[in-house]
Amino acid sequence: MTTTIKLGFDQVRRLLPQAYPFCLVDVVEELTPGERIVARKNISGNEWMFPGHFPDKAIYPGVLLIEGMAQTSILLFKGAEDQDADFEGATFMIASVKSRFLAPVVPGDQVRYTCEVVKVVSTGGVMECTATVDGNVVAKADLTFAVQR
Amino acid sequence: MNEMELKGQLKEIIAEIIEVDEFGDDENFVRDLGVDSMMALEIVARIEKSYRIRIPEEFLPEIKTLTDVTRVVSNVMQPING
Repeated sequence: MTTTIKLGFDQVRRLLPQAYPFCLVDVVEELTPGERIVARKNISGNEWMFPGHFPDKAIYPGVLLIEGMAQTSILLFKGAEDQDADFEGATFMIASVKSRFLAPVVPGDQVRYTCEVVKVVSTGGVMECTATVDGNVVAKADLTFAVQR
Repeated sequence: MNEMELKGQLKEIIAEIIEVDEFGDDENFVRDLGVDSMMALEIVARIEKSYRIRIPEEFLPEIKTLTDVTRVVSNVMQPING
């Protein structure tokens, strides 16, 4: 039987190597170790990127959606307790991203990142990720990452 | 599917990932085509998905040319096809 894990923001920020202003995931809604993770980020108008992106029209940057998917993927590996030791102290580095953006994300949106493992080996992995708002896909990406221990 | 067909399909998959359209069966991915270990992982992941097979991690270092990929994939597919 597989267990589903949920993580709150304090756990998320303890696990992620990033810190403010680059902690781009709020909570983990479900995590099936080694397989799949769903995380959530609420987009607020009062965030650091909006004064610049853009001054007259607030749009959450696509690159930050990719970063959110990458951080969600990191949480899949670091958030499962039994796997924690394997990835403790490991550095995750993005090697390649193939992405498509389908709709703009704006303040007030609730972004849900879903990342599924395609393949993982000791030196890296390939993930298939989507970002949805209200059930509609706003971005999708295939991420390849290297793990350095 | 015979080996030639398989090799043709694998070549298409690899060409798309490494962004090189024309390469020989025995050209070395790393030395001749600029493939790194993460691209190799992408190649393996894409092949696994396309053919619904699993290529164990220990085969990764063996995969140096299109001929190698074809051999490894045929070996992995063998038990499924009978």
